[in-house]
Amino acid sequence: MHIFTGKQDTSKSQAELLYDIQLRKERQFRANVALSWFVLLAILIFAFSGASITIGSTTYSGIQVDTQFIRDNLSFIAGGLGETIRISILSILLAMALALLAALGRLSTVPPIYALSTFYVSLIRGTPLYLQIFFFFLALPQLGIVLSGLVSGVLALGLNYGAYMSEIFRAGLSSVGKGQREAAMAIGMTPTQTMRRVILPQALRFAIPPVGNEFIAMTKDSALVSATGFVHELMWRATKVGRAQFHNLEALIMAAIFYWIVTLLLTYVQSIIETRLSKGDR
Amino acid sequence: MVPVVKISNLDKFFGHLHVLKNISLEVAERQVVCLIGRSGSGKSTLLRCINFLEEPSHGSIEVDGIIVAGGEKGSKHRQLVHDVRLKTGMVFQEFNLFPHMTVLENVIEGPVIVKGMDKKKAIELGEENLDRVGLLFKKDEYPMRLSGGQKQRVAIARALTMEPRVMLFDEPTSALDPELIGEVLNVMQKLAKAGMTMLVVTHEMGFAREVADRVLVMSEGEIIEDAKPSDLFNNPKDPRTKALIDRYRSGEQ
Ligand SMILES: Nc1ncnc2c1ncn2[C@@H]1O[C@H](COP(=O)(O)OP(=O)(O)OP(=O)(O)O)[C@@H](O)[C@H]1O
Ligand SMILES: [Mg+2]
Repeated sequence: MHIFTGKQDTSKSQAELLYDIQLRKERQFRANVALSWFVLLAILIFAFSGASITIGSTTYSGIQVDTQFIRDNLSFIAGGLGETIRISILSILLAMALALLAALGRLSTVPPIYALSTFYVSLIRGTPLYLQIFFFFLALPQLGIVLSGLVSGVLALGLNYGAYMSEIFRAGLSSVGKGQREAAMAIGMTPTQTMRRVILPQALRFAIPPVGNEFIAMTKDSALVSATGFVHELMWRATKVGRAQFHNLEALIMAAIFYWIVTLLLTYVQSIIETRLSKGDR
Repeated sequence: MVPVVKISNLDKFFGHLHVLKNISLEVAERQVVCLIGRSGSGKSTLLRCINFLEEPSHGSIEVDGIIVAGGEKGSKHRQLVHDVRLKTGMVFQEFNLFPHMTVLENVIEGPVIVKGMDKKKAIELGEENLDRVGLLFKKDEYPMRLSGGQKQRVAIARALTMEPRVMLFDEPTSALDPELIGEVLNVMQKLAKAGMTMLVVTHEMGFAREVADRVLVMSEGEIIEDAKPSDLFNNPKDPRTKALIDRYRSGEQ
């Protein structure tokens, strides 16, 4: 190497050269990770391809899956995607509303309101989501309240995620400095106007990335709603055809792939939103 | 003449801490009053009591004829406080612009939302005030993209667009890099020349000397001296004032 000689030395400082080396190392690392990902994916595909390869004296053969079954049921299972997304969107909207109320309740100085908020969060966090879904679907009818599978699922998911997400909104609200409140008060805003026009918009912006994470988690937890037997989302469809034809392996693999793709897409969308927000492009 | 601001027998406690001690003060229309004093002497608290960002413990505040007694509660009191806030503009050390609004949106927020002013009229007024502080060309930027000095000038324009009777400044240049202080002080000086009534907490002795009509010295919750700047700086009566001025002379300035 002759990086410290003559021409190059005058055009680039030593620090810049070191920085270049660092950058090249990082790029190399990322390339290697991508390659490894590709290999792992290839192994996974091979494992379920039914093909076999011989290395030396040993032969490795993949699991034989029934491709006919996959072809026959692909569109039926894929048909559950819409329902999965629909449940997730409805539930996240409910969860956001509840989380915001719970967060505001946590900041309240009125004891019953503060208590209601903490009580809700404690109760929901202290019990399983699976139980909550069944509670709405199976227990409430005993009291004469009959809810559809979808409504039970959305209520349970919304309540559950709302309790967990209240922390996000609380952090969002407290991320807004007290100077903002004072500036709003100084120009004569009422407490309600201050909350609506100044505090909330900033708190919500702060909450967007973590709420995105919750939404991604929710698309997968929505699978639990299939347990009611009446919501024809991805998981319900996969288990239905899988059990009926004793092809659970293929059916679940298909569902898994759909969930994974949805998750990857949402993660990608989220990363775009996040870089936008962090650039202060608003 | 009726004073624009009249503070009568004001006391402020934070718990057991007696921060303002029986303060009375009148500020006439078009007067520029600078408040100086050591850290913790109660300058900010006094200023913040005028627009009730701090609720006075006892005494009363009168702004442009609206008299509000301290330490009261209830809807009537809240209404009076609201009326007083419409008559006062406040500029903070930390600017406190709304980061999710553009410069123009920051400036018209108060008139539109609080006063219910027609949006077109508010924009006209807002642009006029942005022009006064020399920042009309930044009206569509977000505060994040402005320098500290520009932020503070926008904050001044925001306060002005509420058309207050008196402007309160709490160390408006203390958070600024030295090279940005001048542009803010210039705007304030222009404002003073245009006849705005102003109360300014500041460590800028040059500004106090040149622009102020009166300089008040605070110490431990009391106003210990109240004089024309030339008198105050040349022959301070109270030894504490003298010590303060000496510190400024030897120190930062
Ligand atoms: N919210 C509060 N709660 C309790 N004590 C406070 C509060 N605000 C101010 N104080 C106290 O009141 C006293 C006066 O504070 P103030 O902020 O008015 O002083 P200041 O003259 O503005 O000082 P500085 O030059 O540091 O800004 C100080 O002792 C301070 O610690
Ligand atoms: Mg202060």
